[in-house]
Amino acid sequence: MVGTGALSRRRLLAGMLLAPPALAGCSLGSSTKDTAPDPLIALADAARADAALVAAVVTATPALAARLTPLRAARTDHAAALDAEVARLAPSATATPTPARAAPAAAATQAAVQASVLASGKAAAAAALSLPAERVGLVASVAACCATYAAVLA
Amino acid sequence: MSSPGTSSTIDPTAAAALQDALGAEHAALWVYSLILAFLPAEQLDRARADEQAHRVLRGAVEQTLTQIGTRPVSAQPAYATPKPVTDGASAAAVAVVAETDALAAWRSVVERTSDRGLRQAALTALTEGTLRCAQWRAVVNTPPAIPTFPGRP
Repeated sequence: MVGTGALSRRRLLAGMLLAPPALAGCSLGSSTKDTAPDPLIALADAARADAALVAAVVTATPALAARLTPLRAARTDHAAALDAEVARLAPSATATPTPARAAPAAAATQAAVQASVLASGKAAAAAALSLPAERVGLVASVAACCATYAAVLA
Repeated sequence: MSSPGTSSTIDPTAAAALQDALGAEHAALWVYSLILAFLPAEQLDRARADEQAHRVLRGAVEQTLTQIGTRPVSAQPAYATPKPVTDGASAAAVAVVAETDALAAWRSVVERTSDRGLRQAALTALTEGTLRCAQWRAVVNTPPAIPTFPGRP
């Protein structure tokens, strides 16, 4: 499996290198597709929001730090990877990540984190069903990771 | 796999990915049958449940492949473990390896099919496998227990 993944990634890189610079900014889709926002932007924003919520919960309840810090790291890494994938398809677009939505003031609890990461996992799983092959692996991994944190924190 | 959609949309590329996943399931089943003799008593229930989950997956893949007219690959008589299994710790470590290999195989199925039903089934296998993998990673104390990008090569 490792060999296959490495090969397809190399092939993808080769394809990008071969693409004329003029085409680099164009997406493969039609003009109508260009108007729709990249679905990965919302997933990256959700990852940032989860990380921010975890930070708020840990600040409120330091005893949860050991339990929740790995989740914060994972969601931060998810956001970075999703941002990179968004930028890969739209290199000319200015990267303006939406500020993480403010953590709900009344509910900085482990239960809130669990609900949030569960919803994030479901959103990623739904998006994964219709993404093209070269993008779906990342989103599927994000979905599986989020669902597992939600199961463990429940 | 219970609802792979119309079988005609599982193309040869997807079928090859499914064969790889079947190979990983065969290997995982062999690993669990091996390690049951080495794991401490308190981990046996989990190992048996995990083994059963892989048995269900294996059956579903074999059924799907058969339905689309592809002969499922057979299990090998034995598999090489990266390190010898001699005690509980090495047994749990090889469970991590088997689960990690299966995650890579299932993520590859997700990537190599556009059949919605098969992609959903493979994503479910990836998700459920991530929890199994995380539990064995916790046993061998490999942080983070839950892999951040399950199945990524």
